[in-house]
Parts: sequence; C-alpha cells; structure tokens
Amino acid sequence: MTTVSRSVGPLLEIQGLKTHFFTQDGTVRAVDGVSFQIGHAKTLGVVGESGCGKSITSLSVMRLIERPGKIVEGSIKLNGEDLLEKSDEEMRDIRGDQVSMIFQEPMTSLNPVFTCGEQISEAVQQHTAASRREGMDRAVEMLSLVGIPDAKRRAREYPHQLSGGMRQRVMIAMALSTDPDLLIADEPTTALDVTIQAQILELMRDLREKNRMAIMLITHDLGVVAEMADEVVVMYAGKVVERGDVRTIFGNPHHPYTQGLLHSIPRLDERVDRLEVIKGTVPSPYNLPAGCLFKRRCPFRMPICDVAPPMRQIGEEHTSRCWLTPAGEPPEVGADPTPEEAEAAGEQLTVEPR
Amino acid sequence: MADRTYDDVTQVPVDDTEDIDRTEVRSYWQLARRRFVRHRLAVIGAITLAVLIVAAAVVPLVVENATGVSISKSFAPAEIVDDEGNLVLALLGYSRTGINMFTQLMAATATSLMIGFAAVLIIVFIGVVIGAVAGYAGGWVDNVLMRVVDIALSMPGLFIIIAFVAFWGASIWTIILAIGITGWTTAARLVRAEFLSLREADYVQAARALGASPRRIILRHMLPPALAPIIVAASLGVADSVVLEAALSFLGFGIGAEQASLGTLLNVAFEYLNREPYLVLFPSIVLILIVLAANFLGDGMRDALDPRQRVEQQ
Amino acid sequence: MLTYIIRRIILAIPILLGVAIISFLLVYLAPGDPLAQFRVPNVRPEVLDRLAEIYGFNKPLPEQFIGWITNYVQVWNPDAWGLSITYRRPVLELIAERTPATLLLMGSSLALTIIIAIPLGMLAAVRQYSWADKIVTTFATIGYAMPSFVLGTFLLYIGAIWFRIFPFGGMTSSLRTESDPLDIAWHLALPVASLAIQSIAGWSRYIRASMLEVLHQDYIRTAKAKGLSANRVNFRHALRNALIPVVTLFGLSLPALIAGAVITETIFSWPGLGSFGVNAIGQRDYPVIMAFVLLGGIAVVIGNLVADIMYGVVDPRIKY
Repeated sequence: MTTVSRSVGPLLEIQGLKTHFFTQDGTVRAVDGVSFQIGHAKTLGVVGESGCGKSITSLSVMRLIERPGKIVEGSIKLNGEDLLEKSDEEMRDIRGDQVSMIFQEPMTSLNPVFTCGEQISEAVQQHTAASRREGMDRAVEMLSLVGIPDAKRRAREYPHQLSGGMRQRVMIAMALSTDPDLLIADEPTTALDVTIQAQILELMRDLREKNRMAIMLITHDLGVVAEMADEVVVMYAGKVVERGDVRTIFGNPHHPYTQGLLHSIPRLDERVDRLEVIKGTVPSPYNLPAGCLFKRRCPFRMPICDVAPPMRQIGEEHTSRCWLTPAGEPPEVGADPTPEEAEAAGEQLTVEPR
Repeated sequence: MADRTYDDVTQVPVDDTEDIDRTEVRSYWQLARRRFVRHRLAVIGAITLAVLIVAAAVVPLVVENATGVSISKSFAPAEIVDDEGNLVLALLGYSRTGINMFTQLMAATATSLMIGFAAVLIIVFIGVVIGAVAGYAGGWVDNVLMRVVDIALSMPGLFIIIAFVAFWGASIWTIILAIGITGWTTAARLVRAEFLSLREADYVQAARALGASPRRIILRHMLPPALAPIIVAASLGVADSVVLEAALSFLGFGIGAEQASLGTLLNVAFEYLNREPYLVLFPSIVLILIVLAANFLGDGMRDALDPRQRVEQQ
Repeated sequence: MLTYIIRRIILAIPILLGVAIISFLLVYLAPGDPLAQFRVPNVRPEVLDRLAEIYGFNKPLPEQFIGWITNYVQVWNPDAWGLSITYRRPVLELIAERTPATLLLMGSSLALTIIIAIPLGMLAAVRQYSWADKIVTTFATIGYAMPSFVLGTFLLYIGAIWFRIFPFGGMTSSLRTESDPLDIAWHLALPVASLAIQSIAGWSRYIRASMLEVLHQDYIRTAKAKGLSANRVNFRHALRNALIPVVTLFGLSLPALIAGAVITETIFSWPGLGSFGVNAIGQRDYPVIMAFVLLGGIAVVIGNLVADIMYGVVDPRIKY
C-alpha cells in the first residue's frame, strides 16, 4: 500500500552496498560498493552490460539473495528505514507491498499450475485483509488495467495459454495490484518483440502516472532508458561508474565507458562501414584488474588509473568514477588531493575545473 | 606496476601483455576430469572398484585351491601362511567344510563382476544400436522401436530372467544373456534421447548437407557426445547386473555352488542364518560396496561429463 | 479428457498384444517336455495323448496362440487360464487366493512410502546442504544401493533371531485358523519394513531432485518477491509442481502391487503371488508361468495408463 506520509528525502537510498558470492573458485564481488538514490515517483534507469551487477543490486534491495551470495556491507533505506536491518517477517510484508518486482522472463516467471487470477489474487490477499473473492475481483480489475481484453475470462486461464507479451502484462498487474511505492523492473522487455516492447513501456508510463510510482528500470537497452528514465546510473563490474539525470548522461557523458556505450549505438542518419565497439571484454570476476576496473579497455588510460578512482563530481547532480577532469582532460599532476585523501573524504569530491 | 613504460604523448602503456586474460583454455575432457576429481565420493568409488577388481582377479590366482573343501581345516582360525608354508591368505578363517573364506569370497566376487561386466556389454551394445537408430531415423522407425522398448519394459524382468535361466539351464552364459537382453531398455532410451536432440544440432545438419552418409554421421559426429550417457548407464548397469545375478543365485536359480558367486554365498548363508549368522556379513559387504562404488562413480561421471554446471558453494 | 484416455487405451493395445506374444513364445519355446512329470513307467500312451489334447500341446503354434488368447480373455470363466499342473486346480483360482496377501504387503509398503518419502524429500531439498539434507541423502543412497535380499536378510536376522521380537516368516502363526489382524500385522512388520525402506530411499531421492529443480525455477523467485511466507512458497508453489513427476512414479509402482516382491516374499515366506510364481518356475508349471508373465505385463500396461491419466489430471499444461 502507498505510504501515506511521504518522508522528505529520497524514496530509496542505497549506500555502499556490497553483495558478494562465495564460490569454490573464489569470491565474486558482484556488487562492490554501489550507492544511488531514487526519488518518489521518479524513474531511475540502471544501465550496464550483462554481469555488471545490476540484477544483483535489485535482488539485494528485495533481500532475495541466496547462498552462496550474501549482502556483506552497506545500507538500503526505504523511506528512511534500513531494509538490511529488518527481520524476515518485516521484509516479507514489504516485498510485494511497498516494493514490487517484475522479471525478465515472462515465459517462466508465472507458476504453471495456478491460474493468472489466482496468482494475482494471492498477492492481494497476502498484503491486505481481502477475501478470496475480493482478491479475484481486484485481479480482474488489474488485468483490464494492464490492457488485457476479456479480463474476466483470462483470469481463469493458465499462464501457458497466454502469449509472452500478455504474461508480462499479468506480471505487471500482479506487481501493481498492491499499489507499491517502488517497482523494480529487471529487463522487463528484453525477452519480447519490439512492438510488444513498445506497448509494455507505454503501459508502464501510464501506470506510473496514475499511481505516482517510482520505478527502478534495469536494462542494457539505452533506447529504453532514453524513453523512460528521469535519472540514470551506469554500472560496470559491480560498481557505479556514472550517475546523473538522463539528459546530462546522454548529452554529455563523462565516463569513457558511458561514452563507449553511447557511441556504439548506430544512428539512422549516419552511414558507417563499421560499428563502433568498446575494445576488449568485461573482465572475469575472478581476474579483476587493480585500480580502475575499466582501465584495460579505456582509450584514455593514464598512469594514475592504476589507482582506483572514487566517484567525482562532474557537474550539478552528475558524478563519474574517473580521474579525467569534468572537461575530459587528464588531471594535472599534483593538482588534486592524493587518492588516499580522496577515499577518506568519501565518495563525492569536488574538483576545480582547469 | 612501477616499471611500466608509457607512450609520451598518449600516456598509454606500451607493453600490453599484462592485460592478456591468462585463464587457461582447457579441453572438454580435461575439464571433465577436473570436475570428476572434485567429487570425492566418485573418486573413492573408482578406487574401491579398482581395488575390488584387482583383488578378485589376483587372489584366486595366487592362492592354490581357493574354493576347495578341506575338512581338516574345518573352522580353523585366520592365517596368512599355512603350516606347510604355502601362501593361503585365509584372512577370514575357514568355514565349516574347511573352505578358505577369504579366497572364496574373492573368487565369488570375480565371478559376479565378470558376469556383471559381460552383461553390461550386451546391454550397452543392444541399447546403443536400438537407441541410435531410433534417435537418428526418427519418424515411424522411432515409433516402432519405442513400442518394442515399451513391450520389453512391460515384461516382469526378474521373472523373465528366472524363467529363462530355469528353462535353458543355469550356466554363466545363459545368465549373462538373460540379464543382457532384459536390461537394455534404459540405455536405449538414454541414447535415443541424446540422438534425438543431436539430430537437430547445427553441426549435424551441416554434415548432412555436405553429403555425409548416415553411418558416418552417427559414428563420427553423434556418438562421441552421446558417450556421456552411455558411460553413466554402463556404470550403473554394472551395479544392477551384479545385483541381479546375486538375486538369481540367492533364489537358487543361478550358477551352481561349485562356481561361487556372491549370490550363491548369500544363498548358503541364508540357510545357516540361525547357526552361523556371520556368514551373511562379508558377501553382503562386498555386494554393497560394489553397488555403492558403481553408483558414486556413475553419479560423478554424469556430473563431470555434463557441461552445464551449477556454481558450487565454498 | 475422455478422448485423452481413449487414445491412451488404444495405444496400449499393441503393447498388450506384444506382451502376450512374448509370454506365449517364452513358454512355448522352452526346452523340456511339459508332460515330463506324467511319464511314469507303465503309463499308457493314450493317457499322454489325452493329456496333450487337454492342455492343447499337440496343435500348431498359431492355433495354440489364438486358442490361448481367446481362453484368457474369458476371465469370468474360472477355467480360462488353464489348470495348474502342480496343483491340478484352475490357475485363476490359485492366483485369486494369493492376491490378497500380496496386496496387503505391497499396499502397506506403498502407503508408508508415500507418507514418509514426501516430507523427507521436501525437507532435504528445502534445507539443501544442511545436516538434515546430508542425512537424508546418505540414508537414501545407502538404502537405494542395498540389494533387497541383503536388507531383508539383515532385518530378518535382527528382528527375528537376535531380538526375537518378530516371527520368522509366514503370514500367520501356524496354530491359528482364523485370521487375526493383529497377528497378521505382527507378521507383516518385517517384510513391509524391508520393502518400505528401499522404496522410501528411492522415492525421497527422486522427490528431492524434483523439488530442487522446482525451487530453482523463476516462478519461485516471483512467489518470494510477492512477499509470501516460506511455508506457502514451499508447500503451495513448489511442492505442487514437484509432485507432478512423482504422480507418474506412483502409477508406475502399481504393477508391483500385483507382481509382488519376489525376493522379499521368499525371504519372509510370505504367501504371496511373487513366491508362488517363482515356485511355479521351479516346478515347470507352465500354465501358471504363462499366466504370470501375462499378468505382469498387463499390470505394467495398466499402471502406465493410470500414470499417464493422472499426469494429465495434475498438470494443467497437458492438452487433451
């Protein structure tokens, strides 16, 4: 249920989150010091390649991390309350009620032995005092809300009787049936056709308007981000490398990785013989470089990159994890505080533009 | 890190070799062997089986009169060398009729294992042929063959084996044959499943498009990947066959008591359950060891040969 | 639904036919003379001829087969399945007499298995890698690997000889003529334990594996994301899916209800169909043997049919 008192400050605030996986081959630091915020009714796009830790971040927020993974450090504050300190029971109340999540694979995310209506109704019954009949009514209501025709009949059907696009709508209906404050959408359209994708995105835009709902939209598709997001967080190898509002990130990307991502999008109005790529590959989690994680692939690599850069202020509300100045120049030797001082000072660092 | 040279203008390091990802590339078999070795139980199983096979083969050869009766030694205690200096390895003492229990056990194990392995050979052969043909050909051939498999599965296995052996005589060969022709169904199904999925594999389509004969395609392209389930089926099949033979002999339908097998030993032991209960102990232990070892081995191989691995916890 | 069942039944008929043919051939091609026990000295050849005629041994093969099949189908006729050579009584009667004992034994074992194996398998899967899981898996592996006659002998020794708690065998104590349920239960304990331990071991492994596979599915993650309690996720969402393949396992266990457990019945001298059949082989009682093989085959086919039907009922994805 929507919380009545909207606390001042961000809806979701993640600080220094570290989620590690302890495997036989070594420890995988899937999320290694991630911080960002989502404001009420705002949409945050979380962008990055496969394996950069964006899904794990979202699962950490829901506290759905299981062995061999573990949230080892950090805080996740929802309306000011740290979710990592909540008991299992309290967390269960929050999951599906204040924070809902939809997943990438609509084909397998619904239980095949229960009808769509039953599954939606179950969510409603779990978090409200609704009876079974009331739950089913709400289910039908939600199904028509998400644009499923003949909702009453569909509610009695099984997931395998619906197409992929429709199943994703059912998932959205289920997630929204409890009127959550925050919807986490993990690659919701990746597995769908482009046309269906457009429909789903439009649906989400619609619903967030109506319900004043914040969305954490995880995707590797920059086009989707451009359409939907207010703010953007770019992740690479378990860390946030750039953060800012959507116009700034797309118009004036600072971090070389972000630049690389944007440059690799082919443009309709330009004719090119070869597509641009970011050279190299994402480092294996068992073989991370020392210092800046992107250094092996970065065209601007400098000696100082052997020391891990902190998040540095680039503009108002725009930060980037890179030693380059806001103007994109290599830093003058000696002009900046030493990296150790920078780390000690915390994530944000103000650098005078040269 | 301090000794790197950088290009003066671009500040990019000149020597890039440190960036090469040094994780080794290993072949499929090397990876499989690595995975297998991680399974402690599978390794123990393999070792146990090897020890048993060697002991069963060597002991009866080394000791004279391994299974013979010798009344003078009735209930004699355990000894390694007898009074005349012969190597007897009577580690378990002597039975009421003066039989060296340890060497008899080893000889029995040898017989049981031999029957088991031979039966598995038949099982694998029939299973692979039927499974490969059914899986590769598909269509009505597959349908017909699967009906045959269904019919074979519908027959009460143990019963048929007993009947077979009872009617045609209880020699080692009839037993091997009986177990073989009733036990191939699982192997056939496994092979067929593998072949059916391989059939649609791109590289098989390519081979077909290039005009390779079905025989070549089956033998050279499809059989090697299908080996994995065959190997697993074989190792589990050994356990099953040994147990079947033992059951047969236990019920009195197996080979005669002169040619000891684990089953015949247990048959006799059961008769004397009241008077000499310990007789059941050692043949049972050996039998259980064989089954457990073969099962662990099979499980370990199955996990090792399957490229889709889940992440194991530390 | 009905079409599904009918289609399955039609598919089963050729298999039944195949089973019948093989059963017949198995016995027909057996070496040895079926009338051997009648060839006492001084027996008149006409008697032998007459016997051959009664048992139909002198007709050509296909005719014998057809006659045999037509006879067998008439189950309401007590003579339909021929006369036992050993007991000189209709085979049908003999089988009917022995069936209750077998059903009792196998039925109890099946019931125990279901009651115990499902919670065990579930527990092991839900608490994977824990002590509970390790204990269950170890027990299951050993129980599954142990040959039935070893387990049976072991239990017999412990229960009947060492501790002298249980009887040595048979279904009733010899001095009683009426069946006293307590007495039968007392006799039933060891053989059922022997059977049940084995099948519990097998089933719990299967259930554990099925449950584990289900627990890794996406829809379980969705259920957790909805904020459902662990119990609800495990029982309502996971178990319901995990039990689908188990239903087929149940159907496939039905044939054993009839065929019985030959080895266990022999060890514990339980007067069931299994030991009856094996004895018949030993005595070359061909009519009984044929009936048995055919019966076994029919039971399997019916069991498969039941398994298929139950699967169709339980899994909404099956289209019929």
